[in-house]
Amino acid sequence: MKDLAIIETILRNRYHFFNEIREGIGLSEKMRAMLISSIAFLALYGAVMGSTHSLWQALSSAAKLPILFLASLMVCSPTLYFFNILFGSKQSLTQNMALILTAITVTAVLLLSFAPITLFFLLTTSHYQFFKLLNVAVFTIAGSMGVVFLGQGMQVVAASGKEGAHARRWVLRLWILIYAFVGSQMAWTLRPFIGAPSMKFELFRQLGGNFYANVLVSIGEILGFLVVK
Amino acid sequence: MGKSANQQISKSTNERSSSSELSTTEQVLDLLLDALLERQATRRPQPVPVATPSPAPSPTVEKPLAPEPIPPASPKRETRPAEEDWTPPLPLPSINLGRTLSRLVLALVALLVVINVPINHYGTSLARIMPDTAALVIRDGLVLKGSGTDIYVLQDDKLRWISSLDAFEFFGYRWDQVHVVDDSFLEKFEPGRPIHVLLKCEGSPHIYALENGQKRWIKDISTFDTEGYVWQDVKSVSCDYLRDLPDGPPIPEDAGPPPQP
Repeated sequence: MKDLAIIETILRNRYHFFNEIREGIGLSEKMRAMLISSIAFLALYGAVMGSTHSLWQALSSAAKLPILFLASLMVCSPTLYFFNILFGSKQSLTQNMALILTAITVTAVLLLSFAPITLFFLLTTSHYQFFKLLNVAVFTIAGSMGVVFLGQGMQVVAASGKEGAHARRWVLRLWILIYAFVGSQMAWTLRPFIGAPSMKFELFRQLGGNFYANVLVSIGEILGFLVVK
Repeated sequence: MGKSANQQISKSTNERSSSSELSTTEQVLDLLLDALLERQATRRPQPVPVATPSPAPSPTVEKPLAPEPIPPASPKRETRPAEEDWTPPLPLPSINLGRTLSRLVLALVALLVVINVPINHYGTSLARIMPDTAALVIRDGLVLKGSGTDIYVLQDDKLRWISSLDAFEFFGYRWDQVHVVDDSFLEKFEPGRPIHVLLKCEGSPHIYALENGQKRWIKDISTFDTEGYVWQDVKSVSCDYLRDLPDGPPIPEDAGPPPQP
């Protein structure tokens, strides 16, 4: 409950929150609270996604969705940190991670807000490809909002270092692209999150194909162009 | 109101000017009044002509002698978050969002439990009770059944018929893997090599393929290889069981009378 209160601070008093990160006030408490709340929200959304297939899939997705986000954070945050340092940033790695965690927390809370809608479609339709694309759309919207928060946070936290500010903005934009690529590949590696209806439960599926091709194929099947193989 | 008053004044002026008994003072006054009306009419703003394709130039309108509008004083520029002298706005009062969130989390957890609890004796839950209109992901190993009793496995875009219940069980298929589909769907695929379980007993060198409840003798090793069998397909059974099975046509069919195990 106490950890969830940080969501209100992030959503309603974001500039105040970012300013505290800039000043380094209570960074570890903030990160702990964001970590707990985002893990809880992501696990819940993962369970909703996996419920279409089986109870095991629900449990597996509940464990895998937080891992997906946190692993992507671990993989990508050093790149952002060192490139920012290269272009004159005075932020610490902890501040960087706190900002990325803020973005993940915003994404997680927005995913939670989408959970009733996903549940509604789970109960009223059983079209696998539609459900998959619905979730891609939900993740895109929530992820985009998280990235907006990250951009705002970087602006505030980097305010003290004027040198290379323009370059750092470009670093952030490029890093967001890299983060999206790493995240989607990570999701592909950790799949299934929903579970194909004709397949038995499996913790991880064999590698092969890629995320983007699969999304295009799903769109193709929904529009009646082809059958998924 | 001003326009109608002007018209009245103009009318009365004309009446007076037409009279021959006007004094000089009155005539001067009339002239002055006419001049005044003319000037008023000139100063009145002309209606803006609607854009028409006519190339005629619009008449020049004398600008009213109104004073130039004074631009409003520019507001004090707000500092942006990226600037050094920026200070964050005062925090908004709490609306207990944390409590709302925790209630939403609890409600979702409860819903998740409810939709995952089996509600019939088949173990189906609410989350998976919708009719099976879900897309079938076509892949190798998909077990399909049409309106008949035959069961097929899809491999390399070909339907491989599972020739016996022994073969179905021997290769580890389960009934919950079987997807009932329309016959027209099965017709989309070419038939592939049937899946047989191969039987052999300890005391005999012969190998038989089990098909439709009959044992079919495989003539030799080269036939075994040609048919694509592998040693992992061979199931060891008792010779008595094998002898009790009726003989089917040998493989190949011109191999001659099948030997008994």
